[in-house]
Amino acid sequence: MLGILTKSLRTGTLTEAGPFGGQASFGFPVMDFTRCVACDACTRACPTGAIRAEAVTPVLAHVLTHVSLSYAACIQCRACVTACPEQAISVSPDIEVAAYSRDQLARTASFDVNPVTGRGTYRQVELAPGLSLADAAAQLKARILGRLGRSLHVRQVDAGSCNGCELEIAATANPYYDLERFGIHFVASPRHADALLVTGPVTRNMEVALRKTYEATPEPRVVVAVGACGCSGGLFGEGTYAAIGGVDRVLPVDVYIPGCPPRPQAILNGLLVAMGVREARVNR
Amino acid sequence: MTEHAATVAAALHVPAHTVREGCPGELLLEVEARDFPVLADHVSHDLQGRLLSLFASDDRAHTGQFRLHQVWSLPQLHTFLLLTAPVDPAAPAVPSIAATHPAANWFEREVMDLYGVIPEGHPNPTRVALHDDWPDNAWALRKDFPGEQPVPRATGDHHPFRPVTGEGVFQVPVGPVHAGIIEPGHFRFGVAGEPILYLQLRLFYVHKGIEKRFERLPWRHGVYLAESISGDTAVGHALAYAHAIERLGHIEVPPRAQAIRVVLLELERIYNHTSDIGAIATDVAFTVAASRAQALRERLVRTHDLVFGTRLLRGTISVGGVRRDLLPSGRELLQTRLRAFETEFEDLFGLLVDAGTFTDRVDGPGTLTRQAAQDLGIVGIAARASGIDADLRRDHPHDAFAGLQFTVPVEDGGDVRARLMIRAREIEQSLAILNQVLRVLPDTPWAATLPDALPARASALGWVEAWRGPCTHWVATDDHGALTRVKVTDPSSLNWPALVHVMPGNIIPDFPVINKSFNLSYSGNDR
Repeated sequence: MLGILTKSLRTGTLTEAGPFGGQASFGFPVMDFTRCVACDACTRACPTGAIRAEAVTPVLAHVLTHVSLSYAACIQCRACVTACPEQAISVSPDIEVAAYSRDQLARTASFDVNPVTGRGTYRQVELAPGLSLADAAAQLKARILGRLGRSLHVRQVDAGSCNGCELEIAATANPYYDLERFGIHFVASPRHADALLVTGPVTRNMEVALRKTYEATPEPRVVVAVGACGCSGGLFGEGTYAAIGGVDRVLPVDVYIPGCPPRPQAILNGLLVAMGVREARVNR
Repeated sequence: MTEHAATVAAALHVPAHTVREGCPGELLLEVEARDFPVLADHVSHDLQGRLLSLFASDDRAHTGQFRLHQVWSLPQLHTFLLLTAPVDPAAPAVPSIAATHPAANWFEREVMDLYGVIPEGHPNPTRVALHDDWPDNAWALRKDFPGEQPVPRATGDHHPFRPVTGEGVFQVPVGPVHAGIIEPGHFRFGVAGEPILYLQLRLFYVHKGIEKRFERLPWRHGVYLAESISGDTAVGHALAYAHAIERLGHIEVPPRAQAIRVVLLELERIYNHTSDIGAIATDVAFTVAASRAQALRERLVRTHDLVFGTRLLRGTISVGGVRRDLLPSGRELLQTRLRAFETEFEDLFGLLVDAGTFTDRVDGPGTLTRQAAQDLGIVGIAARASGIDADLRRDHPHDAFAGLQFTVPVEDGGDVRARLMIRAREIEQSLAILNQVLRVLPDTPWAATLPDALPARASALGWVEAWRGPCTHWVATDDHGALTRVKVTDPSSLNWPALVHVMPGNIIPDFPVINKSFNLSYSGNDR
């Protein structure tokens, strides 16, 4: 007993005063569209289809092509960074990425592609459909304000994950991050919860359980999708015989936390976004 | 090796020329399915073989037949034996070996569920992989099954739970959504008061169709999918997949890459074992130790991040080597951090084993006897905690393990304490291994040059002793050298039956800690 006390006193406080603002050696890829020539090196290298290119309007002299990069499906494998012959893809050290919709996690640019050389010339970044981050933040706040602002009880639901996200979610409770100091608690039942923290590409076999868990959660409730799979189906795809895909295929999702898996800071950040305490950011 | 082929042929009473050499360390034998029961008996009794996987493949496009495969480890010969037999699609059935080799139990039922090949004489031929709302006569892994579209839900009760009756006897259903941050599965306890009479499992809630998914991926991308079979075994599965592809494609992995792979695999073992030891403390409410273990584990994953740019060691393995070199600065950092870890871990472990309140809870519960572990074909840490001396790193050395000094810890108790001790002793060995490897890394490239394409119509086995136990991947290519079948076996698939076996007689309040002491992967099992 004495030993335990001495050791604890000697250890002191491990909890980091400011868990945010840290930088990782690899957050998400950032595309400099002005250097991109709309070749297919990155789309072929990407294992999840997070980077896509599609011809929109084939015209006689040129082809208008859209190139888009979505963090919703990105597993942070860095394959695109090494594959790009134009060095147009770099690395963002920012890890606290969250959004209120899938669209907000994507960025699309249009290119005029010369049909003879296959080389594209950058035209412009396309406007993302749907609400802006600020408008979506205001909307979420308006819905939960006064009810969930100061504490959040969270029921975690693994709806098909590989358990990587669970490892990092569990890490948010360790002495370094200590999520309870933000008023966030993991609870044992959806009936005690304000928020569902859902991982996985929702599987066919978890769909019913996920819906029932949602129905058992009292209003107002928020749903937070975690990880590349939770945001988009990730590597497992959407609409296969076994995987339905992103959580938003089954439930209305309020906050998306991309990453494979997202780091503990990113998960904490996303939960604070769901509480309306922080606003979601997507730096790129 | 030819000597081994002769030994195997003699033990199985088959002509010597029929036992063929496959990739190094792999013997292949074509048999008739009707001979499986006799052969399985010979392999296990006369060659001390251990069944590591059993699966089917759909070869109808070429031979008009399905094929059934068995993968046996022959530790004494340091070789694997793959038995394979054709199965007629007109009457898809094979004699079951599950009654005498329980390790085959779930595998055979999975083959039935996903290929429609019936295990004749199986003691419990009910669905295992498919849930009740899966329609009849739809076999997801057959080649003509359209895997990229949803399947309508059916109604039915194909797997009723066994009733448990009697005065004061009732059932406690738990899951699939559990109280903690863990994976989904359904447990149904039949109890009389607190003591458990019977435990039934229903898994495959997180079945993601991984094996079918592999068949659509370019083989270079397969390694990403392998990392997501079980998130806590990213290195283990990525490595098993890479091994299979490298053996199939005759890709020589440079010695430096082999050494770095050992580093990654042992780091994965250390962080998972540390985290499990903390979780066992959590489940007996010893919070001081639990939170120290969590802090220790966090420092480990942060070290991974500093050295490899990834906390959970994802994105480190590539086919042909590793994704990034281990620089001298990283090596020194690892050595310093691991030295600090060693002291802190000894401290933590002392805290646990010196506390009577802790040892009272871990001594005895969840005892898996050596005989039961042997009969059920249990593998990995769970087997070694029950007196079974098996470890692929020593018995079938992969990567740089052949040249390293280490021992394989074995405990006799078979209870929660034994599984805890195994983890602690393995951490000790891992540190010793890392010490040797990090001293000097071979001065060679860290990745091989890859061929443009893999050989057509070839197959190979890849294996790794990951932290939980053996991970095996069997990979086959089609006419164009593309992936046509990837069979993934996580040690969890072999070990879940152990949990069912040990529960009767224990009490429900001990279930969390017993379950944690096995710490099986749902995702690895369900895929």
